[in-house]
Amino acid sequence: MFDMILSQAVNGLVLGFLYVLIAIGLSIIFGMLGIVNFAHGAFFAIGAYLAFALNKEFGWWAALAAPVLTGLIGAFVEVVLIRHLYGKEPLLGLILTFALALLTEAVLRLIFGGAPVPFAAPKFLAGFVEYGAILITKYRMFVLITTVVILVLFWAFLAYTPYGRIIRAGSRDPEMVGLLGINLPIVFTGVFSIGCLLAGLGGLLAAPLWTITPSMAAGAIMPAFVIVTIGGLGSFLGAIVAGLLVGVTTAMTIQFQPEWAGAAMYILMATILLIRPRGLFGERWERFE
Amino acid sequence: MTEQTKSGAATGLRIGRRGLLLGATSLAASRLGMPYIGNAAAAEPIKIGMIWAKTGSIVDQAEYLAQGGMLALEQRNNTLLGRPAEIVWLDEPNPQGAQQSAERLVGEQKVVGMVGGALSSFALAISSVAKKAKIPYVAANAATGDLTGKSCNKYTFRLQPPVDVHARILAPYCATIGKKWYLLTASYAFGQDIKRAFTDYISANGGTVVGADEVPVGTPDYSSFILKIRAAKPDVVIGGIAASDLTTFLKQWNELGMKGKIPFAEISVGNTDLWGVGPEAADGLYTITWWYKNPNNTPEEQAMAAAYEKKYNRPAADKAWMGWLGMKSLLDSIDMAKSTEPGTIVQALENWKYQRGDMDIGYRGFDHQMTSRLLVAGIHPKITDKWDYFDVKAELPKTPDDIAKAFGSQADGACKMDTL
Repeated sequence: MFDMILSQAVNGLVLGFLYVLIAIGLSIIFGMLGIVNFAHGAFFAIGAYLAFALNKEFGWWAALAAPVLTGLIGAFVEVVLIRHLYGKEPLLGLILTFALALLTEAVLRLIFGGAPVPFAAPKFLAGFVEYGAILITKYRMFVLITTVVILVLFWAFLAYTPYGRIIRAGSRDPEMVGLLGINLPIVFTGVFSIGCLLAGLGGLLAAPLWTITPSMAAGAIMPAFVIVTIGGLGSFLGAIVAGLLVGVTTAMTIQFQPEWAGAAMYILMATILLIRPRGLFGERWERFE
Repeated sequence: MTEQTKSGAATGLRIGRRGLLLGATSLAASRLGMPYIGNAAAAEPIKIGMIWAKTGSIVDQAEYLAQGGMLALEQRNNTLLGRPAEIVWLDEPNPQGAQQSAERLVGEQKVVGMVGGALSSFALAISSVAKKAKIPYVAANAATGDLTGKSCNKYTFRLQPPVDVHARILAPYCATIGKKWYLLTASYAFGQDIKRAFTDYISANGGTVVGADEVPVGTPDYSSFILKIRAAKPDVVIGGIAASDLTTFLKQWNELGMKGKIPFAEISVGNTDLWGVGPEAADGLYTITWWYKNPNNTPEEQAMAAAYEKKYNRPAADKAWMGWLGMKSLLDSIDMAKSTEPGTIVQALENWKYQRGDMDIGYRGFDHQMTSRLLVAGIHPKITDKWDYFDVKAELPKTPDDIAKAFGSQADGACKMDTL
């Protein structure tokens, strides 16, 4: 039994890291722009479909451009739609991004049809390795390593670059950042675009594992919201810890109470919010209270 | 006369020549117009309700079901009983949404019949509205036993064979592979019926269930379930997960190196589920209701498949056929009834027959279940055509007696049919 628990724990961590990648984008968009981006799952789906289309036309390596293209679409959406919502009633942002999510699903269905489209991992990542009781596929190891590298790079970007400092400062007090003469509209566009790029990257990495359908956003958006809530709104470290917790909790529930697997992360969220209403790493920010 | 004219002029009632001419012309025009107005009333379109998912986890199958249904009406030049006919298609995001759509179709759109219910839970919800509103309803995709069992009613007809029938056909195949089964089924009516049917079979035939997991709908990652299956070392895995959930499972089954290691079997699978998996990961032993390349397809089915492919530039999936046949049975019955009166259509549906090879397909009177054969199919060892995955092994049951046995008798079922 211990072997099985260990095996499930490792598997849960891999799933957790994939969730973290999606949730981080949602977290920084909320933290900086104050927008609850209900369309985040739609950008995840856009990333997967772009990967499918690029792979079909130009091969697997071309699919790696999918997240960048998703980020550019995100920048366009921010300029055309999202920026009109800053400082307005938060409900407006929720309604607009919800409508955007529905529209994206309809457009994807129009272009690619409603049926799932096939997409496989490249051949050099096929197969799996076993370390005692632990079984892990080469592709999941690739996802794990890629996610960790990106998270470290992103953390370094936020911690050590001037742009990262502006984002962190802007997430606390955007007005003050604006008064310092920093071009906030460009910063906001960049943040939204990076968030969408991360969602698109999640879509690319999940495409060989999950089913690519226009409605695939649902499989990403709910865990992402749960992770952001558990970790604390806008917290980078919180999202990582919460993502791993959700992944491992889900895997363990499947091992012992499989019929509760779908509800496990919500029960975890409710429990943590009861103990710590701001989430694990949430701080008291006047902006959101 | 002169006095009368004068008197009329005095009272202001005088009608001049121009007025008279205008009045006469108007009267003539209105007389001419009357047949036109009468025809317009007669040409009021007959509305058929269609409830297939436009959002949610079953939407990929629903697209084909809807296209098949629309094709059935187009093949009649959108005409019924000499009047224009149209389909009103509403969404079914969840069981409650399906019920609301059915109520809207009946209350607002005044439809004369309904087709739909992509998932068992949706079909049960629509069926309850059909019963209450007394409107004929054809459930063309749902497989739960309840629909023609304990929840049956006079207005509901079901096209898909129920889970028990699929299980009676596939379970003996699985038992020849091995007696240790692992069940991975969805946590709603369809999956629970599969779990019960296959457990009953293997228990009665000297086998054991070495593991059974109920999986939430929309599970994005099956790797933890697959690790459990791997550890349990079953001879066969029996699946009971639908649509894109099955696609996801098969992709991850292959990814974790399980394809070809432990046989996987599932009933009532659709073409689209496998098309989304891709040739590398496709695997399994299945029952399917129809296959576009089956040489036993009737000329009418072949014509439908050709029309579908021409229109949508892809082969007709089994779901397109189910949507088509479900709608066709309702439209045929309206024509047979020569009326849009619900009770007459229900009686026509009970008498509707469709010749398929050596047997007449139709809805049984005592539970409104359509009886037909099923196909048992594996996957081609090497897939070269991106649409052609199935390797059909048999069309079962073979004889009419065996068909009747597989579908069960009135005494075997839980249906207590009500009256009109």
